[in-house]
Amino acid sequence: MTVTEAIDPLCGPHGLRTVRETFARLYDALYSQQHLPREVVELCRLRLAQLHGGADEGTGQTITIDAERRAALSGWPSDERFSSGEKACLGFAEVYAMDAGALTDDQAEAVRAEYGDAGLVTLIEALGVLDGLRRVSLLWSDVHLRERD
Amino acid sequence: MAAQPRVRYTGSATGNMLRDSALALVPETLDHYVELGRALWQDGPLRPAEIEVARLRNAQRVNCVFCRSARYDIAVADGLSEERVDMIGDAYMDSDLSDREKLIVAFTDYFLLDPAGMPQEFRECLQRSFSGEELAHLSLAVAYFSGFSRCAVALGGMPDELPRMQISIPE
Repeated sequence: MTVTEAIDPLCGPHGLRTVRETFARLYDALYSQQHLPREVVELCRLRLAQLHGGADEGTGQTITIDAERRAALSGWPSDERFSSGEKACLGFAEVYAMDAGALTDDQAEAVRAEYGDAGLVTLIEALGVLDGLRRVSLLWSDVHLRERD
Repeated sequence: MAAQPRVRYTGSATGNMLRDSALALVPETLDHYVELGRALWQDGPLRPAEIEVARLRNAQRVNCVFCRSARYDIAVADGLSEERVDMIGDAYMDSDLSDREKLIVAFTDYFLLDPAGMPQEFRECLQRSFSGEELAHLSLAVAYFSGFSRCAVALGGMPDELPRMQISIPE
């Protein structure tokens, strides 16, 4: 779900132009930064989508998780197809989505051990954007612009 | 909430709360965060006081000590007094907040607590009171504030309390 897809049903493709464009630049930067593998970002996006429910939409980014790993994602804790770094991030993402205040130092340290301080900060930033857009899409998922006419 | 910061960052001392924070460890996104914050406050149809209502409700729900203590000067100048801020509590529906402000609080709660469960009647009420562009603006603003406050909570190291402080949009 891109920011454009999230808000087009509300204001059309030309509405809120400056905000949408700056949001999109942030979103793109999260998938092109050098601190956390973009595949990890995408796995977290997919897991957040599973947790929140609703249809899974593409990112608009050129990143693909192979079908086998996508299908196995909900069982990541015990699945060897996910690396220790991926598991650390997915575990962090799950708690983040429910209550950021419930995150433990151990969960943060597990991410930091794999990807460093910058990787942990990147993960937290990415979860904020991905979780936020997912929520926006759920709030307005069946709104069609013509309803506003 | 983590008593100690979870990221090792000695930081800079420019006076810019974003650029002096651990977010500076990710320069690829920092400028975009600053730019987006500025755009949300200055380039959308909602008034700053209305944006601040949403931000403070989010701050309460996410329990971000920093966000709860901050007051954006642009919102204060737009009329959001402390008397009105005190109304953004659990008894907000019985308060003297305007109908639009009450809807903003309720929308923020749905965003945070049950985004898939927003009733159709409430959605229609929002659409009667706000334009589509205003609703898009509100949605992205709450998304931004939610991410920002969760970031602060997740990074850890915030004290249990902070005095109220007026801040400006970071540049």
